[in-house]
Amino acid sequence: MKRAPALLALLLLAGCDRAPQVTFADAAITLPDDPAQLPDLPGREAVIANCTACHSPSMMLQQPEIPRKKWESIVGKMAEVYMAPIDQAAVPEIVDYLMAAQAARSAPDVAPAS
Amino acid sequence: MSEGRLTRRALIAGVGTTALAAPVLGQKLVDLGLPGGPSLRPTTPTFPGKGEMIVQRVNAPVLETPMSVFREGVITPNDRFFVRWNWPMPTSVKAGEHRVAVGGAVKQAVSLTLDEIAAAGEHVSVVAINQCAGNGRGLSQPRVTGTQWGNGAMGCAKWTGVRLKDVLAKAGVAAGATRVRFAGLDVPLVDGAPQFIKSIPMNIAMRDDVLVAWGMNDEPLSILHGFPLRIVVPGWFSTYWVKMLSTIEVLRGEDDSYYVAKTYRVPTGPVTPEDKDFPTVPITTMPPRAFITSHADGGVVAKGKPLVLEGIAMGGDAALERVDLVGDGWEVPCTLGPDEGPYAFRRWSVTLPQVSGDLADIGVRAKNVTGAVQPDQLAWNPSGYARNVIERITLRAK
Repeated sequence: MKRAPALLALLLLAGCDRAPQVTFADAAITLPDDPAQLPDLPGREAVIANCTACHSPSMMLQQPEIPRKKWESIVGKMAEVYMAPIDQAAVPEIVDYLMAAQAARSAPDVAPAS
Repeated sequence: MSEGRLTRRALIAGVGTTALAAPVLGQKLVDLGLPGGPSLRPTTPTFPGKGEMIVQRVNAPVLETPMSVFREGVITPNDRFFVRWNWPMPTSVKAGEHRVAVGGAVKQAVSLTLDEIAAAGEHVSVVAINQCAGNGRGLSQPRVTGTQWGNGAMGCAKWTGVRLKDVLAKAGVAAGATRVRFAGLDVPLVDGAPQFIKSIPMNIAMRDDVLVAWGMNDEPLSILHGFPLRIVVPGWFSTYWVKMLSTIEVLRGEDDSYYVAKTYRVPTGPVTPEDKDFPTVPITTMPPRAFITSHADGGVVAKGKPLVLEGIAMGGDAALERVDLVGDGWEVPCTLGPDEGPYAFRRWSVTLPQVSGDLADIGVRAKNVTGAVQPDQLAWNPSGYARNVIERITLRAK
């Protein structure tokens, strides 16, 4: 059955360089889960509400260390260029979170004894 | 760079960051060697049709090929080939319902079925490297933002399809056409966001080896690699190899769409992180690159014994001419392996008669037949595009 369209095309297009020798079957996949494994820091809820619907948290967490101004510009670009429906009131909280996650990441591996 | 060989530093860093950068699917971790970090990434075999891949992002999928995959052969197996989507793509495509619209500056706009595409002309195969424009971005110094790739956003496959020019002929290119633009089924989630559409100049579109492809290493393209059709532009960066092709649009004039006019652009000359408002042009062709695949940075080699080094190289948009092993003030020509065509990886090897001590900061330098050669210093740019600095490693003699 699957070859029928290809054979039909061959008949219609006799004179082409070569018969179509390819058949196309439907394709479907299921992607793995994408758990929002965001560090538990202030602003986490704002990030989940405004950022992770469109992309995995890894996109934020894997960036190199960058200044606050750069994070502000990235969040701004998400809203202005990529039209992310970000609650503008939540932007400072989101940027706070990104800065905090970055700072916690580069903190010493062993916390000083208190 | 050194997957499977977690360093003490990496392990310590891993412990320190577990609670923060928790791996998405995370059992195994790989250290990409990104300067300043974060450098650890989870790896997983759980993506459909894929083997063990480095997870840069689950949604939309961005998966990197572990460097160990490049140790053998010049063809990258489909299940280890890197994956990169700008926007989430459909996870189901009905072949019988799929159409490719060919329109714009054409004589007669048409909507083609997959069988009509397959019947548009001679079936052609080309072995070509598909490399992300940002491959190696994470190794940039100073660091830049974006997908933090190691060097595994590349692969080489045999692509099979029909020539783009034969598909264009179904509609007939009209007078005044300048470029051909492609769009796929991956569309933004929100209204008004820029769709990932890309265009190439007409003279490139009419090349005999620029394809509308359905085959990847003699298998149908998978969903993750752009089922049912993708554009193949040998020698050009992957950004133009639009996946899940659904629209071919012939343009008159320039392409002012976002991913051509605003991003995927490189400076016309050297720039520093302090520079602003410099002229840029769209990134297009690939420069030569080479990699040592037989040994990873920090590896141990036998002192007093001969040493065989092996790897892969590419000419970029022209055939590879030579590969040299380079150290501090010395260089040794390498022997090239079988030639699979100008756009394919080519293996190289070199034997050092005797290891007398540590091999510090050695690298391999590829040169192509146009004279383009890998530089000693990174041509830094703010998007980390087109990295082709000589990649260096240090081997310890013991």
